[in-house]
Amino acid sequence: MTVVYRGIVAVAIVLVVAEIFSQRSLKLKINAGLVLVPLVLRALMIG
Amino acid sequence: MSLAVLGASLAVVAAVVPGYRAAAQDETVRRGPGVTAVQRLSEWFPGIGGTGGDTDVYVLDSGKPGATALVLGGTHGNEPAGYLTAILIVEHAVPTAGRLLVVPHANRSSLTHTDYQEASPRTLEFQGASGRRAFRYGSRATNPTDQWPDPDIYVHAASGQQLSGAETRNLNRAYPGRPDGTLTERIAFAIVSLIRAEKVALVIDLHEASPEYPVVNAIVAHERAMPVASVAVLNLEFDDITIGLEPSPKNLRGLSHRELGDATGALALLCETSNVSQGRLRGATDARQVVEGTDDKYLRAAGLGRLAVPFDEHGWPIKQRVGRHVATVMAILAAFTSTNPGTPISVSGLPSYAELMAKGLEPFL
Repeated sequence: MTVVYRGIVAVAIVLVVAEIFSQRSLKLKINAGLVLVPLVLRALMIG
Repeated sequence: MSLAVLGASLAVVAAVVPGYRAAAQDETVRRGPGVTAVQRLSEWFPGIGGTGGDTDVYVLDSGKPGATALVLGGTHGNEPAGYLTAILIVEHAVPTAGRLLVVPHANRSSLTHTDYQEASPRTLEFQGASGRRAFRYGSRATNPTDQWPDPDIYVHAASGQQLSGAETRNLNRAYPGRPDGTLTERIAFAIVSLIRAEKVALVIDLHEASPEYPVVNAIVAHERAMPVASVAVLNLEFDDITIGLEPSPKNLRGLSHRELGDATGALALLCETSNVSQGRLRGATDARQVVEGTDDKYLRAAGLGRLAVPFDEHGWPIKQRVGRHVATVMAILAAFTSTNPGTPISVSGLPSYAELMAKGLEPFL
C-alpha cells in the first residue's frame, strides 16, 4: 500500500514540477511551488 | 525563474526536514539502578521488528521470588504523565521482590507526530538535575506514515465492534491485536505475547484524560482486578489522594483493561489523570499549558460546573499528574502484594507524591 501511495505522490510531483516550468504567470509558478512542498514531504514519508 | 521557484520549494523542504527527523528520534531514557536488562518488544513478536512500533522493554528484576508486573506508558503519545511516570520508574525504581517490566513508549509511533489541527507542542522541556531534558509530545494514534490508509469504519477484529475509522490507529482500541493485522494491531498482539510469555500477573496502563471526561482521576479495573484496585483506592484515599474506581465495561472492546484481562491471566488496570491540553474546552495550546496544567477556559468551565474534577487557578500540573500515577502504581503493587502474599511485587527508590508536589519533576530527571 505504501508503494502505491508513494507512486501517486511521485506522479503528482512530476505534474506539479512540469507546471512550474510550463506556467507563464509568476504568481501561478509560485503557487505550484507551494503545492510542491507538502508533496515532497509526503514522498519522503515525513508527516 | 522556474528554477528559482523550484529551488525555493526544495529549500523549504530542506529547512523543515530536520525537525521532522528529530521527532522520530527517541529521547534518552537512562538505565536506573534497578534495570537488569533492556529488550525490544519485537523479541516477543518479530512481526513488529524494524517498524515504527518496535519499542524498548525495561526489565527490573529483583532476583527474589515474586510475581511480574507490566507498566505501560505512552499508549497515547499525547498523554505525557503516562510516559513520564514510566520513565521515572525506569530511572529510579529498585525492585525488592518480584519483577517489573516497563514499556515507556507502548505506541512508539504515536510519539513521532502530533494530532491534526490540535496545535500541539512538539516537545516538553525540563531543566532536570542531570541537565536539560526534552520529551516529545505526540499523538493519540499511530503515525499515518506507519499505517495508512484509515478505513471509513474501524471494525475491532475480535468483537466486530464498529468505531470511527481513525480509531484503527488507536492502540487502546486494538487489543488483543492480531499477528497479521495493521501495525497497531500487531503492537497490541506483541504486548499480549509479552504478557503471556512472561506470565505477567498485573498490567498497569497509564493514561491521561480531559477534565470534562467522566472517567478521570480514576482507576479502571477488569473485574478480576477489582479486589486489588479497591484496596489501592482505599490506601490512596488514606494518603489524601482522591481517586475514583470504575469497572471495565464488558461491551467496550479493544481497551487494555478489558482485553488484557480477558485474553491473558493478568489483572488489568488503567489509570487516568486530568490533563487540560487534551480537552475540547481549552484555550491556546502550548508546552506551558501541558506542563503547568492551567487554562482560563477550564477555570470558567469549572465555575459553570462542567468538569468531572475540581479545578482552580493551580490547575493540574504535570508534577501532580505524574505524582498521582507514581503513587497509584505503588498503591496497586502494595495491594497486589497484600492480596497475593505468596507472590509479592515491590519496588523502592521512587519519589513520593508529596516529594513530587514539593520539588517538581526536575530533581528526578
